[in-house]
Amino acid sequence: MTGLTKAALRKGLMTAGALVLTTALAHGDEAAEQFRADFLDGKLSWEDVSKRAADEGKVNFYYWGGSDTINVWIDSVAAPAMKELGVTLNPVRITNTKDAIDLVLAEKNAGKGVGAGSVDAIWVNGENFYTMKQQDALFGSFAQKVPNAANFDWNPDDPRSLLNLRDFGVVTDSKEIPWSGQQYVCAVNRQYVDAADTPSTFEDMKAYLEKNPGKFTYVKPPHYIGNTFVQSVMYAFNPDGNGGVPFQQSIDDLGAAELARLIKPGMEYLKSIEPMLLGADGGKARYPEDIAALDGLFLNGEVYFNCKFGLYAVHTGLQTGAYPEKAEAFIFPKGLMIANKNYLAIPANSPNPASALLLANYMASVDSQASKLENAGMPVGIDVWKLSADDASMVQKAAPPLYGVTQADLDANVAPDTNASLVDVIEGTWLEYIERGSSSSIEEIVDTMVKQMAQ
Amino acid sequence: MARKATNTFTHLSPFQRFYLVAVAALIVGPFLPLIIQSLAFRWAWPNLLPTVWWMEQRERSPIPLAWDYVLSPYSRVYEATFNTMVIGIAVTVICLAICLPAARVLARESFRGKNSFEFFLSLPLIVPEAAIGIALLMIFINLGLAGSYVGIIIAHLIPTIPYMVRMLTAVYQGLGREFEEQAMILGASRWQILRMVTLPMLMPGVVAGALFTFLVSSNIFLLTFFLGQGKIITLPTLLFSKISGGTLDASAAGITLIVSLPGIILLIISERFIKEEAFGKGFGN
Amino acid sequence: MATQDTALDTRSGRRSTAQRNALFLRIAELAPIVIVLFVLFGGALVLALLQSLGFAPWFGINTFPDFSYFGALWGSSAFWVSLGLTLYYGLVSTIIALIMAIVLSLALIKPFRGKTLYKYLYKLPLMIPYTVGIALAVLMLGNGGILSRLMALVGMIDNPGDFPQILKTHYGWGIIAVYVWKQVPFMTLAIYAVLLGIGRETEEAAAILGATRRQIFFSVTLPQILPGIVSSTLICFAFNVGAFEAPFILGGGYPDTLPVVAWRYFNDANYAFQLQGMATVVSIGIVAGVILFAYLAVYRRYERMRGRA
Repeated sequence: MTGLTKAALRKGLMTAGALVLTTALAHGDEAAEQFRADFLDGKLSWEDVSKRAADEGKVNFYYWGGSDTINVWIDSVAAPAMKELGVTLNPVRITNTKDAIDLVLAEKNAGKGVGAGSVDAIWVNGENFYTMKQQDALFGSFAQKVPNAANFDWNPDDPRSLLNLRDFGVVTDSKEIPWSGQQYVCAVNRQYVDAADTPSTFEDMKAYLEKNPGKFTYVKPPHYIGNTFVQSVMYAFNPDGNGGVPFQQSIDDLGAAELARLIKPGMEYLKSIEPMLLGADGGKARYPEDIAALDGLFLNGEVYFNCKFGLYAVHTGLQTGAYPEKAEAFIFPKGLMIANKNYLAIPANSPNPASALLLANYMASVDSQASKLENAGMPVGIDVWKLSADDASMVQKAAPPLYGVTQADLDANVAPDTNASLVDVIEGTWLEYIERGSSSSIEEIVDTMVKQMAQ
Repeated sequence: MARKATNTFTHLSPFQRFYLVAVAALIVGPFLPLIIQSLAFRWAWPNLLPTVWWMEQRERSPIPLAWDYVLSPYSRVYEATFNTMVIGIAVTVICLAICLPAARVLARESFRGKNSFEFFLSLPLIVPEAAIGIALLMIFINLGLAGSYVGIIIAHLIPTIPYMVRMLTAVYQGLGREFEEQAMILGASRWQILRMVTLPMLMPGVVAGALFTFLVSSNIFLLTFFLGQGKIITLPTLLFSKISGGTLDASAAGITLIVSLPGIILLIISERFIKEEAFGKGFGN
Repeated sequence: MATQDTALDTRSGRRSTAQRNALFLRIAELAPIVIVLFVLFGGALVLALLQSLGFAPWFGINTFPDFSYFGALWGSSAFWVSLGLTLYYGLVSTIIALIMAIVLSLALIKPFRGKTLYKYLYKLPLMIPYTVGIALAVLMLGNGGILSRLMALVGMIDNPGDFPQILKTHYGWGIIAVYVWKQVPFMTLAIYAVLLGIGRETEEAAAILGATRRQIFFSVTLPQILPGIVSSTLICFAFNVGAFEAPFILGGGYPDTLPVVAWRYFNDANYAFQLQGMATVVSIGIVAGVILFAYLAVYRRYERMRGRA
């Protein structure tokens, strides 16, 4: 008996080991390699791409599937439109964008090269794009080579093109194409908070919480919604008083010591409000893990404010019953409402690269952008000033209503997002200093984080 | 004295009566608010009933709400149900094919090291699933099995085999040898005996084992979640992605009810096949 | 037929042929289960162990044997807190579920009206996934949940924040509630089956001889249902220690339980962390293994002592 089992074990292990090693040595698909090179060199016409896409017949689109409205739009509008182009859209809903990045990197590291992976397109921005770019896991500079690139402003001399060329301060090199433009907007429950009491700065919020403890919280970093809140606090308490300006530099240019100096007052503010956040009187402040959890707290009146990316979040929330009846948006924090874009990226080992390009082009079309705006409440990612008058008015008509604020108010309070190389450091510092209650100083923590990232 | 003593064994004490009711309330009670939640449009604290029902908003809303969403293809409920069924059936069939012959040997023959062998067979039940799941994921990514039906089916075999082999061994043990021996004396071949005598007699036990295996497979979350990589969703992973933030809206409540449905159906069917005694033989040692 | 050809063989020769045939048959019958379990289950465990010791040539890492991953893990205080939490949730819920299951089986064994229906009903949690239990916990036990609303109705609280926090704390009552809800029926089934099998004669005899109810339970009933208790608590405890979804959704955040820690490590793009994740996984296995073996050993010893007495 033991002889048999030992032999079986040895044999099994050897087989497993051999399989593992042979697949690790596998190469990418040569035809896909050729296609990638030809397309990026501009040797292929859009017909050639469409033809190859029809042969591929399928595109695996990985995206954050936490919103029913977006899910419905993808299934009921985008999928049929792609079908007409001869490609079956396979939407893969993930709970966390990082999961898709990890999958791409894991496959890449397992030796799956061009054409041999399983992800064709990812809805992405910021640090996730930065990670893929750093790891050389992107298909290439495609965004200006698809027909609907004309809907974007690519002129580097025009400051309005900034978010097409840079994503969280990282040069995109056209390796991703803008999909939607968002702004960080807070909503308030008017049932409990009247206009006079509504805070407009972080200092106001602290004063409000001193009178009404427990009625505010923010999504927990490393969730990007939480990261963005922390970033706007860092801007507000920047000791130089110039808001987000210094946070546009990369960590290499800024240096650990300078970053620590810049974020120290902000971190201390966050520490000081922690005892007044939701659940803190029960011993431990509660930070919701995601948007759905924050929406639930907001609906039940556990908190009176709800901060997230979402120009039309109030509209969507009222439509689905996720928001309380008296919810409306308000301007907070004054002058520091972070705006950015999110994008579609194609991984280097996309198994259906031509179909992925077709998808990117479709998502950048005026029709799909207007429909997404109207049905899913997702702001457009294309630049309206580049459109014909008819198209521009179509987009305008498609926009859902705003509650409590005007577009002019929102535009007047825009702030830029933070350089992606700083995001991880600030997030790590928050986790260490706030969540884990580390006794080290901010300077030490930032220094350790920066060294860790450099490894 | 004697009469009183017998009473304690045939009648419930007041505490036991209360306890039975309390446990039932604990088990079934939460399903009532769950049903209400699935029909709600806006249901905020401290209301015990929704302030706005889904039916009232149904015509006005541009997007499908609550049950309209759950029962539409957008919710992925059909896809998840289909995957759960396919995986469950495949796992059950493979599991039966592997465990039937093994159970015969374990029930009928004795050999050196049998006790340790039986212990090894139940090891997967007491090794934490996270350990197996993550280790398998590592191997499967390299083999290209991650995110495939085959990968998930293979992984599901690990926690199902121990249950199946124990239940089938118990069935074999309960089955007398006489009929088979008689058939052999009458000149039946091995295959004929298996087909005409053994299998029909094993049938009730096999059905019970199969139902139970299907149930275990359809309830597995962790292995499916780790190895499915979001590409293959089953009912438990679909529900997980809906509630992972720690809230439950109307469509999540509807999906929760749908996810409970196969179990409820199986419960009603299985009571006819799974006898407590048989189950006890599988676990009582 | 073979028997005719070998009719002239010596007795011993014939027996050995038959024996060999039987042996081959037996091996053939056991082969599938052995292969599947050894290759998949054993293979996974061995590979996990190898990787946690620095053997991962497919990432270009091969420093086997390298104990630094375990060193780094066991050297951090967070690991021990996580381990403590993991064992705490596993142990407390197993004990609570066990007590509830024993009381339930003792009641179930008696005849009462509606027993057939009740026997359907109590098994419901057994049949549905843990995620359903988690959803119910979120609905019932959250600060904005049903219990909180009922308390508001009777005027005990006037703000959801005043409701005692059950979910998302390190006391883990939400996690424990889900485990208990799901595992009471499982344990009850195992214990009830044993109770059915043994009959009530010994207990009745003891009662006639004047033993109190407590005496009957501890010296007659409990020893008889012990096998059912041991096997079902083994399975439940091991599951609780290795479970991921309940602590992930209902847990109190950092420090997380070990399976959640392992998952976070594993999801890190930095591959050195994946090996750290493997070390975490192996640690779970070792700790659970040691506890379960000790438990089994104590139980066997107890059985032997009882057998001698």
